[in-house]
Amino acid sequence: MGILDKKLSLRDRNKMLIGVWEDEDQLMAGASEIAHAGVHIHDIYTPYPVHGLDRIIGARRSKLARIAFFCAVTGLTLMTTMIWYMYVHDWPMNIGNKPVRFTPSWAPVMFEGTVLCTAFGMSFFFFWRNRLVHGIKNELLDIRQTDDRMVMAIETKDGMDEKAVLNMMKNHGAVELREFHNGVQIVL
Amino acid sequence: MGHGHHIEVKQEQFVFSPKAKRFSMILMVLGLIFAGLGIANLGGHEESHIAKTEVTAHEGTNHGEDHAAVAHEEHANVDTEAFGPRMEFHPLDKPANTRIWANLMIAGYFFLMISLVALMWYAIQYIANAGWSVGIKRIPEAIMTFIPVPFVVLLIALFMGKNDIYHWAHYEHLGLKPSDAGYDPILVGKSGFLNSTMLFVFPSVLVVIWYVLMRKLRSLSAAEDNATKGDVSFFRKSVQFSAAFAVIFGFTISVIAWLLIMSVDAHWYSTIFGFYNFVTHWVTMITIMAFFVAYIKKEGYLGFVTNEHMHDLGKFMFAFTVFWAYLWLSQYLLIWYAQIPEEMSYYQIRFENYKFNFLLNFAMCFCIPFLGLLMRSAKRNRYVLAIIGSIMILGHYHDVWLMVFPGVFGSGMQFGFLELGTFLLFAGVFTFWVFTALTKRGLVAVNHPYLDESAHHDVGV
Repeated sequence: MGILDKKLSLRDRNKMLIGVWEDEDQLMAGASEIAHAGVHIHDIYTPYPVHGLDRIIGARRSKLARIAFFCAVTGLTLMTTMIWYMYVHDWPMNIGNKPVRFTPSWAPVMFEGTVLCTAFGMSFFFFWRNRLVHGIKNELLDIRQTDDRMVMAIETKDGMDEKAVLNMMKNHGAVELREFHNGVQIVL
Repeated sequence: MGHGHHIEVKQEQFVFSPKAKRFSMILMVLGLIFAGLGIANLGGHEESHIAKTEVTAHEGTNHGEDHAAVAHEEHANVDTEAFGPRMEFHPLDKPANTRIWANLMIAGYFFLMISLVALMWYAIQYIANAGWSVGIKRIPEAIMTFIPVPFVVLLIALFMGKNDIYHWAHYEHLGLKPSDAGYDPILVGKSGFLNSTMLFVFPSVLVVIWYVLMRKLRSLSAAEDNATKGDVSFFRKSVQFSAAFAVIFGFTISVIAWLLIMSVDAHWYSTIFGFYNFVTHWVTMITIMAFFVAYIKKEGYLGFVTNEHMHDLGKFMFAFTVFWAYLWLSQYLLIWYAQIPEEMSYYQIRFENYKFNFLLNFAMCFCIPFLGLLMRSAKRNRYVLAIIGSIMILGHYHDVWLMVFPGVFGSGMQFGFLELGTFLLFAGVFTFWVFTALTKRGLVAVNHPYLDESAHHDVGV
């Protein structure tokens, strides 16, 4: 895992079978049949969210929520410690004769710190995990996958019936079938 | 789950099952029993309460005999030297049945607000062009019909008990002159707003306006059901009336909260109070709505309303729990920081004499729901929602109780049988009413333009 993991790059994987669709309903039906046939779909790239695809391809739930919780706890601890250190331990100040150890008055700082750490932490981890960092080249299987086409990628394995998979794609309205290996695409 | 395939949505007719009838009857009977127990205990409780407040009074008085003399004694506490007039009001002469009227007033206010924010919810769904909620839109539509019932109860309670509940109403009758001892310039200054005429006329006028808009929105929705599919004129009109309602309601609801609840502590004020009240009832109404949706689904209706919709309701409950706590703390912190004596009285009595209730309120309305609903799996679990939701509903009722009782009775009261009984009785009537309203029309808004969107609603993995 992580940004240095080459496995995340498509060109370092096994040969990929690529199907290109123009219609989302046909894509859904195709994905459903392929998934039911026991073939693992690596990913489907669509220009807009297609509801239900995540369930069909068996996408696991994002871990972002757990990371958010972890960041929130970190932020809360950090800010509580900070305000305690500054305001109670190191330099207590008499402001309007208010007690310094009154925790409810720390709540705004604690709250804002928690939100800040959570927001930054989530963005950081999100970009890291998705390789959306500066200097990374994008890996579009089809230039039109950001516009009006949907691209399904299936990683081949030993013993996979590639012809059957390609046939299923074709039968469900894939307008183009391709192979992708070592960074080279071959139109079938 | 919606797999992007087409989901056929047909009209359904809700039947008020004997089981549901029995449930609401049980709530009402339990409520009556508890309220009866509470009323039976009133006498004894009142004596001990008087004994307690007598200690705090500066001099012994023959309470209950001469109103003017007692008021004189109370307002003699006004200390104008250091901080300006103080707002201590020792309630020495409350008759035992004040507690009954105060309870009816709280229950009436609570359920009036629940019905009103249901209407607000309904309006917001239209204004925001919300699609996901169309499948469950009949539930707020049924809840909002409850408006007149709690309002009538509220009016009766105010009519019977206003002089004992509101000390400004009591003061109004004394007719003191500036030269008299016990003259209260603050109450006199507020008398343009806080007076008996205003207390009845202002809420009545507003409730009539809100009620008319509610009937209009409901009739538009009914007309839409009978129209042809694809006719969006009713939807457009609903959006317009919703917008009108939202503006009127948004400006006026605070005033209602000030007039009915905040004026219990008439010397005190908080500008955030109305909004805080709104949010208290808003989060409760969403919880109640989630309960109704869960029940209706369990009975086999609304097959296209899935766990995705329940999840969204759970998210609303969670989000507004946090928002409630934000307002709760803000109101307190600003007063704490500003250190203005006249703003302190509200928290002083609640924190010194009602510490348990004060902290319980925060635990029930924030700590438990926040931790309980934090996880996604909790929001998608009916049983977790039921347990946490019950705590939230009771907690917010207790919240309203805590806004009123210390101001009316001073120290020494507790959320007892009478309070619980009144709540359960009202909850029973409310449930019965809403189920009956649900049977009045089809359970699905079949011609709503966003029905399909709602049927395909999916928040993803």
